[in-house]
Amino acid sequence: MTRNVAFGQYYPTGSVIHRLDPRTKLFAGVVFIVCAFLASSYWAYLICYAFLFSVVLLSKIPPLQVLKTVKAVLAIVVVSVLINLFFYDEGTVLFSWWKIKITDGGLLYAGKMVLRIMFLVLSTSMITLTSTPTELTDGLEKIMTPLKYLRFPVHDVAIIMSIALRFIPTLMEETDKIIMAQKARGASFDHGGIVARAKAMLPILIPLFVSAFRRADELALALDARCYNATEARTKMKVLRFTWADLTAFLVLTACLTITALIYAGVIPL
Amino acid sequence: MHIFKKNGIISIMKILNAENVSYAYKSEEGETLAVRNVSLSIEQGEFVVLLGHNGCGKSTLAKLLNGLLLPTEGTVSVYGTPTTDPKKIYEIRSKVGMVFQNPDNQTVASIIEDDIAFGPENLGVNGEEISRRVEEALEAVGMLAYRKGTPFKLSGGQKQRIAIASVLAMHPDVLILDESTAMLDPCGRQEVLDTVRHLNREKNMAVLLITHYMDEALSADRILVMEQGEIVRMGSPKEIFGDINLIKECKLELPISCKIGYALSQNGFLTDTCLTDEELVEAVCRLS
Ligand SMILES: Nc1ncnc2c1ncn2[C@@H]1O[C@H](COP(=O)(O)OP(=O)(O)OP(=O)(O)O)[C@@H](O)[C@H]1O
Ligand SMILES: [Mg+2]
Repeated sequence: MTRNVAFGQYYPTGSVIHRLDPRTKLFAGVVFIVCAFLASSYWAYLICYAFLFSVVLLSKIPPLQVLKTVKAVLAIVVVSVLINLFFYDEGTVLFSWWKIKITDGGLLYAGKMVLRIMFLVLSTSMITLTSTPTELTDGLEKIMTPLKYLRFPVHDVAIIMSIALRFIPTLMEETDKIIMAQKARGASFDHGGIVARAKAMLPILIPLFVSAFRRADELALALDARCYNATEARTKMKVLRFTWADLTAFLVLTACLTITALIYAGVIPL
Repeated sequence: MHIFKKNGIISIMKILNAENVSYAYKSEEGETLAVRNVSLSIEQGEFVVLLGHNGCGKSTLAKLLNGLLLPTEGTVSVYGTPTTDPKKIYEIRSKVGMVFQNPDNQTVASIIEDDIAFGPENLGVNGEEISRRVEEALEAVGMLAYRKGTPFKLSGGQKQRIAIASVLAMHPDVLILDESTAMLDPCGRQEVLDTVRHLNREKNMAVLLITHYMDEALSADRILVMEQGEIVRMGSPKEIFGDINLIKECKLELPISCKIGYALSQNGFLTDTCLTDEELVEAVCRLS
């Protein structure tokens, strides 16, 4: 379980996509999410997927590696397909049994649902596959810079996010360990009703919280020892640079977004 | 050891100096005096080991030395600047680098080079220089190949070496290691110790090593023994481990080679105290 979390799945190949400015990638993330919701016809999806596929090719990441990220949400995909198949009752009935009717409308709708969820996951995974958490938090920090004038602690928030991302795998591993330790003492997590199961989680959560606080304590010391907040004029090892590649990416992304929006609005009849 | 000539007088540069330092933790139940009237100094290039049983105040002393805690009484100064000077505190912390026990709780970033860059970034060092320092620090701990990797997939010893590198990138003159080998398996422990010795010998880095493992103290220039907040004894490994009463009083344990040597001398076989395994072997060989 610890191994296939979405974070820390950075897949370095040194491609153009990897070298894009993280702000561009964050913009891409927004565009992808909006597109996934706006895409209303199969044509629109075709355009979105074609775009995504070319990004995958450019990133030099093996497509199978990208596809693997869908595994995490497979259950959601299956459930939403079933729900849509069984409860969508417009269109001609293709198959019926007892109270369940499957219509051609339902089939089409379920298909779109699959495409939408897959697109969301694949496109956002492309971002985490091609950029390190530090790059992303640096990008966010840069984007939020204007908030500094409102006395919003931009840098601290960026560090908090970076540390949170960094601790996800550590805490996951710890959870696994605690679960095993409790199982060794005879605890069971898969019996009884919801209440019993929720109660069974308590002996996991409490040690996890205790340990998280202890870690936080030590981490705070380590941050101080490494001169956190030493100066307002802190620097970055990797200075973000907006290049021609970023400009191109911005234009292509905007074009993709516009086309999807126009299809949605019915201006382009596809 | 670094030797400076000043006005014709040869003097060894003191990096860190603590004078009559005491520290009390204050809580609702009252005060715990964790460090009492401690004086010590650390000179350039020295390898000092601090021993003492659990709860005797070693970590508290370490935190006083780089200004994470400020003394209740007395002064700690680094290159003559007291840690109570708020303008200089970060300079002090960058000169007195501190490595803690659990490597997992000292990393702030998910990519190794970003983690190492954290210290110099905080200090406002310029980007290219940071990049150079990252490379140099990773090189010094022998982890340059892992630069772009993540710390999660490393062994404990490797993680701790990364933690050392992340402190080195601030260009400290003393490295304080607070039980930094305590959570590691024997291999990892050896790895970290070798790294620290290498830094001490090759880069002239002064080291204050806090540990429960007596064998780590054998190669020290100086050993400090702490007991109930006080430094009760200071001396060479030979002096400290040769004094069996002190060892017993302070609830310490002899390194295994010393233990055997002591048992043999009790029975009249040996006359000298033996420190290392090699010395013991030699002495025993001379017997027959
Ligand atoms: N935050 C704190 N608040 C109150 N008392 C503390 C605190 N930290 C430590 N102490 C007390 O101060 C004394 C010295 O603690 P310290 O952690 O310095 O010992 P130590 O020698 O590092 O022990 P160990 O070998 O277990 O690491 C102990 O009696 C401890 O209970
Ligand atoms: Mg301690």
